[in-house]
Amino acid sequence: MAFDKMELRDIEVWDGNFAAAQALRQAQVDVVAAYPITPSTPIVEGYAKFKADGYVEGEFVMVESEHAAMSGCIGAAAAGGRVATATSSQGLALMVETLYQASGMRLPIVLNIVNRALAAPLNVNGDHSDMYLCRDSGWIQLNAFNAQEAYDLNFVAFKVSEDHDIRLPAIVNQDGFLTSHTAEGVKTLSDDDAYGFVGDYKPMNDMLDLDHPVTHGVQTEEDWHFEHKARQHNDLMVKVLPKIEEAFADFENLSGRKYNLVEKYDMDDADVVVVCMGSSVETAREVALEMREKGIKAGVLGLRVVRPFPFMEIAEALKDVKAIAALDRSSPNGAAGMLFNEIAGALINIDTKALLSGYVYGLGGRDLTKAHLTDLFTELQANVDAGKLTTKQQQFIGVRGPKLSFL
Amino acid sequence: MLNKGWDEFEIGAMLRSFDGPTSNIATTLQEDRPYSQSNSFTASVADWRIEKPVFNKDYCIDCQFCWIYCPDMSIISRDKKMIGVDMDHCKGCGICVEVCPTNPKSLLMFQEKEDEDTVLAAWPEKEDKEK
Amino acid sequence: MSEIKKIKNLKEFSTSADRFEGANLLCPGCAHSIIVREILNATNDDLILSSSTGCLEVCTAVYPYTSWDASWIHIGFENSSTAIAGAEAMHKALKAKGRLKQDRDPKFVAFGGDGASYDIGFQWISGCFERGHDMMYVVLDNEVYANTGGQRSSSTPIGSSATTSPAGRVSYGEKMNKKDMLSIMAAHGSPYVAQVAPNKWKNMIKAVQQGLNIEGPTFINAMSACTTEWKFDPADTVAISDLATDSLVFPLYEIIDGKELNITYRPKNIVPVEEYLAAQGRFKHLFKDQYKYLIKEWQERVDSNWEYLQRREEARV
Repeated sequence: MAFDKMELRDIEVWDGNFAAAQALRQAQVDVVAAYPITPSTPIVEGYAKFKADGYVEGEFVMVESEHAAMSGCIGAAAAGGRVATATSSQGLALMVETLYQASGMRLPIVLNIVNRALAAPLNVNGDHSDMYLCRDSGWIQLNAFNAQEAYDLNFVAFKVSEDHDIRLPAIVNQDGFLTSHTAEGVKTLSDDDAYGFVGDYKPMNDMLDLDHPVTHGVQTEEDWHFEHKARQHNDLMVKVLPKIEEAFADFENLSGRKYNLVEKYDMDDADVVVVCMGSSVETAREVALEMREKGIKAGVLGLRVVRPFPFMEIAEALKDVKAIAALDRSSPNGAAGMLFNEIAGALINIDTKALLSGYVYGLGGRDLTKAHLTDLFTELQANVDAGKLTTKQQQFIGVRGPKLSFL
Repeated sequence: MLNKGWDEFEIGAMLRSFDGPTSNIATTLQEDRPYSQSNSFTASVADWRIEKPVFNKDYCIDCQFCWIYCPDMSIISRDKKMIGVDMDHCKGCGICVEVCPTNPKSLLMFQEKEDEDTVLAAWPEKEDKEK
Repeated sequence: MSEIKKIKNLKEFSTSADRFEGANLLCPGCAHSIIVREILNATNDDLILSSSTGCLEVCTAVYPYTSWDASWIHIGFENSSTAIAGAEAMHKALKAKGRLKQDRDPKFVAFGGDGASYDIGFQWISGCFERGHDMMYVVLDNEVYANTGGQRSSSTPIGSSATTSPAGRVSYGEKMNKKDMLSIMAAHGSPYVAQVAPNKWKNMIKAVQQGLNIEGPTFINAMSACTTEWKFDPADTVAISDLATDSLVFPLYEIIDGKELNITYRPKNIVPVEEYLAAQGRFKHLFKDQYKYLIKEWQERVDSNWEYLQRREEARV
């Protein structure tokens, strides 16, 4: 059996889901074990169709639940080959048990999460609750702001995840519907260039090497567990970010598209900065430019790598800023938001007087409008002018009813 | 192995059964296998035993009942002959004695501390079975 | 298709080189180990194995030791079936792409206890069988959550005292009858399902060989007498197993292609169920006057099931 290459135009009109599906095809994934869930389904449907049309060679295993999808991926990855899948929201929630197992067993798997709210109440639209749910699961997490990046970051994910120094599974996040179902121009790589970048899969500790039997998924109790977890954390903290930067550099050489651990927009002289993820980054950039026309030195910091958290890069990018808004698109349910907390941690021991406030926004696909962001930047400038927070530390924006603010 | 630090072992807590390649393990006997330090074959559960089986080859008919029913791979059979008990891996369950069909039995349980030569010398006589 | 290992008799079988190692942490007298040995020794093929969380898993891969001489994986409680299905899918993919390191086709075998199989992993097994992976699933059926200390599962039989269905002053213990897993798996259209027991080793290796050499998902329900939870002396594992098969509490039979049922073992002398029950602590309370009627019911249930199996066999449907 063989497969045909696909001729792509330099720029194709794809949505985020199709862009990710094309990336899986071009990476010639060996096994996809998957289960449908809105809004990520078209990614694995795409792989299935490419296979049905002879454009990819591999096994598509349509399982009976997301838990089984990741279980199958783990078995396939341990067997020794390239593995990927996709899910969202409740599917990810069902999968979470196995996410920890995949990373603890150091198996390279690429998981596309098309970010969607978590029930209850049920909601199919985009927010980052699912991304946050698995943030401590030991996976690398990349964040795409648009369809182009969903495409590009998949290649980076395979390259980093499968590297023998890393061997950690990787998630590529994109926003449900706003990115996954919104068609835009996507600059493509040729099949050869894309596969050349990812490279042949190099097996390691593979079960299918019949002459070297291996045992995966052992039990470690109090005499060993801590060391193994420490090793995994160490490798995430020390090895992954440099490897991602290396992959970004290679990718820039190939495509001309430059990625960074944190994406800085108008940050050089910024006084007031919004830090956010996903499709909101582009809206925030647009508003920041408008704020500058009004004399407010606004900037935007987009988080490209969610895990490992680029602590030092964040601190460096924000050290001269006067007021910062951390935008969390997930209800913290009884605490400050994740971004607020991580940024606070990054800044607490450096010489900065930056004022930090947290905003919870966009739950269940609620729009983050330019008007919201205009108000937000204005509020940040007011904080700068007052030399202190003029609001509570945590505010909800875009929600009906009396103003919600805490802390 | 027990004192290794966090940076000294294989990632993912992966264990290898053998050092080096093994092309046909299903037909390679234990003595010819390159067991790794991580293979439990290299470990011992001898201290689990309260009683131990003692093998008296004088009465053994090599039926291999003890071999097939030993849960701990501790009956050593080579060339269809029972040649002894692997005392590193025997947990002292006593199944081998129960399934032994000879009269007197070719395997009997004794206290762990008892001397093998002494009990062999005092092996019970053939029993008259009433039926 | 690989060559089937020839095993004429026990002497010949005893020349097998075990691929399951000692100094594992299973209880003395555990039948799990006897079953695993018989299964692994039934073939000379390469094996890729998985285990669900349970006694077998926690006792055979406790860092820094493994008791497995073939590649083995454990993920969670519910998914040894899907883990091995994933590996099987990868083997298929790499074979098609010419990327296998050795030109040999291994057999894919998943193990799980009755809790992992009848209960928590049921859906995963069903999915694997519906999709037709080329694999064998083996239940080590000790009718209880032994690894967590003796809770009832859907395989626990009526009248058994388990920690979550304990016998007491006003209760005879487990109230529900054992789930008929073999029929359920046969209904999936599996080409081969069989109930086996380690005391009948010849029967066991025949079933295993047949299952391994049929393409598609095959299912083995292996009775695993549990010295700890059934409460009998470790030395009596084989004797208890004999009582189980000879009383027909565990009839040994196979179903081919979801239809053709063959009884694979007919005891020469059928033992009363009472003897089987009396030999185990988990049924001790049934011998009190107030619960003795249950023993009679037990016997009637076993008789009627045996009759049903014989009728099915005769009918060839």
